[in-house]
Amino acid sequence: MNGDMHELVDAEHGLISRRIFIEPEIYQEELRNIFARCWLFLCHDSQIPLPGDFFTTYMGEDPVLVVRDNGGRVHALLNICRHRGNRLCRADSGNAASFTCAYHGWTYRNDGRLTGVPYLKEAYHNAFDRDRWGLVPVAQLDQYKGLWFATFDPKAPPLCDYLGEMAWYLDAFFDRREGGIEFIGGMHKWVMPCNWKFPAENFGGDGYHTSWSHRSAIDTGSGGNFRLAPDPLGVMLSPGKGHCVIGVGPDMLADPPASEILAYEDAIRPEMEARLGPRLNRIKPIVGTVFPNFSLLRPTSRTFRVWHPRGPDKTEVWAWVYADKQAPPEVKEAIRLAGVRVFGPSGSFEQDDMDNWQGCTQTGRGVVARSYPLNYQMGLGHDRFDPALGAWASEYRYSENNHRHFYRRWAELITGAPWAELANGGTREDRHA
Amino acid sequence: MRNENSPDGGLIGEVEQFLYREARLLDDRQFHEWLQLFTDDARYFMAGRSNRYPQSSKAIAILDPGRYVESDVTGEDELALFDEDKTTLAARVARLDTGMAWAEDPPSRTRHLIANIEVEPSESEVEINVYSNFLVYRSRAETEEDFYVGARRDVLRRVDGDWKIARRRMVLDQAVLTAKNLSIFF
Repeated sequence: MNGDMHELVDAEHGLISRRIFIEPEIYQEELRNIFARCWLFLCHDSQIPLPGDFFTTYMGEDPVLVVRDNGGRVHALLNICRHRGNRLCRADSGNAASFTCAYHGWTYRNDGRLTGVPYLKEAYHNAFDRDRWGLVPVAQLDQYKGLWFATFDPKAPPLCDYLGEMAWYLDAFFDRREGGIEFIGGMHKWVMPCNWKFPAENFGGDGYHTSWSHRSAIDTGSGGNFRLAPDPLGVMLSPGKGHCVIGVGPDMLADPPASEILAYEDAIRPEMEARLGPRLNRIKPIVGTVFPNFSLLRPTSRTFRVWHPRGPDKTEVWAWVYADKQAPPEVKEAIRLAGVRVFGPSGSFEQDDMDNWQGCTQTGRGVVARSYPLNYQMGLGHDRFDPALGAWASEYRYSENNHRHFYRRWAELITGAPWAELANGGTREDRHA
Repeated sequence: MRNENSPDGGLIGEVEQFLYREARLLDDRQFHEWLQLFTDDARYFMAGRSNRYPQSSKAIAILDPGRYVESDVTGEDELALFDEDKTTLAARVARLDTGMAWAEDPPSRTRHLIANIEVEPSESEVEINVYSNFLVYRSRAETEEDFYVGARRDVLRRVDGDWKIARRRMVLDQAVLTAKNLSIFF
């Protein structure tokens, strides 16, 4: 990798080059040094509960088959036949003991082993070792509270280290009650003409855009008014390693404004506080991004999603809606409706985001435009490490300190530097340590 | 081919004119007038699709056939593309009037083509089932183009002599929506 990558991201001064959002060469480096190295979200355990259940997804642009074998063990494998490289499984999900390639009929068991090769005896003269040509597994596969993640990098730190303090913030979304979460059935999948980092950074720390971008939805009742109300305890939080969280004060409304949901939230609050600890009395985490491309959201809609990169100027969104497993049916139904009406491609909030991210991406095609850096200076010098929150915290509720942490991590990884040489989270505290 | 249960040509023509007029209201961005075409208890639903192997597929050997789901259409209790009642449809229209609905500012240029119209009697004396297909072209900004293609099944109800849409169930035939948003109506 050329040595000037660090110059693309000047987090100390809050300046980021537009080149990283549009240039194909940099995008290829991202696929290699970010998507083929980081832990990436695959699916939730409740999508593949029983033997044979499978779900097909992507890690970067690599197609991946996540499947539970006959013995109940989960595998994540390249969804590619080893023979001619055809895509093996063409369904989004289902249940299978084995998968057969449509081209020549090579067959793989649901643990990845190659078991069937037509004309093995005659055409390969019995000299073919099937054991060496099973599906290619990911380097590491692990789950956190039912969320399956994988990495192609055998040297990547274990998932729990990769998440670090972010694990607690994930708990605040996904482990609020015994049993954790489950999905509402179905998914939203759609293509956005923008660079994947714009949605990732937006969910990671852009509280600033909400009261303007989404004002029309807030004013017509679909989002509640929490963001327009003064919130002295609102804060941008960087728990390290590029992960980002937006928090509001503990008493702020941060849920889809349906009466069933609000009553439910009041009712479970003592249980949640007992489970998650006193930090909840300081802040309520509402939005976040697990570096690089897994984002979660609590208010307006209970959604989490993966921003799959599809070239420097294209992103495929895969979005799910989730509810506490123990929530009563009427609450789950209210959450489903909020997920349809407020987020997703027709969502009264989300439809306006895509247009903005498209514009931010496409104007970077101009060579002159690209010579002017983007401004990420909001709140520069006005954040500090807060031990009680386990994160770098902004002084004011609007700040771009999360963006700066995100891109600092990006800049470290993109050079291909070994994991051991990365600052622990790319925070100033770590650098000075 | 006509049998005694088939609706007469007069009814079919009436329904066709109703649907064409509705399409014109949408293309002319007369959304408040469009909203008046729905009953107060209307449900407006759009399902998506996904990729599923049929049971008969030889691409997989199904391990657990008893649990296998073959349908590739979003269920009515799942994450649909639209699931609205009259109140939330009205809120969507009101949002367009705020001057801050950025995805429609400047607005999309749409053309709704409605075809394959079938009229079927229902069990109710005041309601009929109407099937149709839609092809909606959307042009926006400088060179953006989208095609939205799918099917509708409407329940039309006679209210004070006029047809109203009591229920609209749509399916959009894409597993991955290639348009960046669904900021228009169908």
